[in-house]
Amino acid sequence: MNLFNKPTLTADEREIIDSITQNGAGRKKGEERLFNRYAYFIREAVYKYSLPEEDAFDLYSDTIISAIEKIASGSFQGRSSLKTWLYSIFHNKYVDLLRKKTTNKNSVHNTLSISDLLLQVSDQSKTIVQKLVDKTDWEILRERLVQVGESCRQMLLLWADGYSDKDIAGLMEYKTSDVVKTSRLRCLEKLKQLYRKT
Amino acid sequence: MEDNLQYIDAYFQQMLNAEQIRQFEQKIAEDPEFADEVAFYLAAKQSSKAAADQEKKERFRQLLSQQAPVINIDRGRNITRVWMYRVSAAAAVVVCLFLAWYFFVGNSASLEQMAEKYMNENFTTLSVKMSTEKDSMEDGKRFYNAGQLDSAVKEFASIAERDTGNYLVKNYLGIVYLRLGNYDKALQYFQNFEKDTLYSNPSLFYQALTLLKRNLPGDKQKAKELLLVVDKNELGEFETARQWLKKW
Repeated sequence: MNLFNKPTLTADEREIIDSITQNGAGRKKGEERLFNRYAYFIREAVYKYSLPEEDAFDLYSDTIISAIEKIASGSFQGRSSLKTWLYSIFHNKYVDLLRKKTTNKNSVHNTLSISDLLLQVSDQSKTIVQKLVDKTDWEILRERLVQVGESCRQMLLLWADGYSDKDIAGLMEYKTSDVVKTSRLRCLEKLKQLYRKT
Repeated sequence: MEDNLQYIDAYFQQMLNAEQIRQFEQKIAEDPEFADEVAFYLAAKQSSKAAADQEKKERFRQLLSQQAPVINIDRGRNITRVWMYRVSAAAAVVVCLFLAWYFFVGNSASLEQMAEKYMNENFTTLSVKMSTEKDSMEDGKRFYNAGQLDSAVKEFASIAERDTGNYLVKNYLGIVYLRLGNYDKALQYFQNFEKDTLYSNPSLFYQALTLLKRNLPGDKQKAKELLLVVDKNELGEFETARQWLKKW
């Protein structure tokens, strides 16, 4: 807690944020450093929130994953210290978890929300697309994502994780981002064919 | 079909102009097959994101298992390793206590100087507004900053009485009592600060600081134990604790 006048981010925190923002080969290392730095939150959740260890780990991992997304997209402004900001996410997720437990919604991953992806879509189209997405058999789609082949799978995972085609070209050793784009769309097509066969 | 995917991809990568966006959204409304393609594109992206997150989680799980046993999330398979860690940690604590005792006498003067320096640098003014009790808290801080410490105590104490769950004001009371040289009271409030808040806070560090200032027999050793906990768990002010421990 930063009670007195001090710089909000330490040099180490800045370094972590920079490596995640760059989205290149250093991002993975930055993600791991971020996870390690505040891993003691897990113990705190066990002792102070009386959570089982596995739940505390899930809570902290989800916090870090959410933070990585926000840092990578530039949403983290650095107005508070990294720890304060992370703790607020952590606490909010804990409140969500309590809410889920009290309403017996223990399984978080039965359905996946696409609301973030639909932000740019107009309301009328959004309703149509949302209804169609709601019909998705997520379990089958998850299985087909494995069957699509390792290279395709890796590419789609990086794409979904916010890496640009240029970043993916660097990471997967493709010549250009255009080649990645073509391959990525082919992979999507392949996934679609596999999914629709069922 | 691949052309459709390219078109959809261009839309979500925000590469279309305003007119093209309008046409795209109109097509969703008028062409059910196209709408279905859009839905699949989004479902595939979301499913891939979930898989990417799951992989990250597995990577984090491995990282955690490589760390010191702050916590072991795979207890069933790793009980032996947990016990090894516990024995090692206990041995480390014993060694640290021995070193604390060994270096205790020769460094007394510099420890007091470090504590004094910290107080001068950090406790001269209170400047952050972090309370719903805004006016009273501000008054208390104003008294504190003007050096009217008794008035600051009264103001903060009245807030603490009204709002027993206000951890911040307990911290302020600890600081004021520390400045007043009432170390027992300061310790009491810093201990309350530790208990009341859910946040990983600097209360243990402040308790160590207070013990260094009080300097009764055994206080320095106890302060060092607290600093070691702060350092090990990276609690509030752990960077300063680490520096102090290096100089101990």
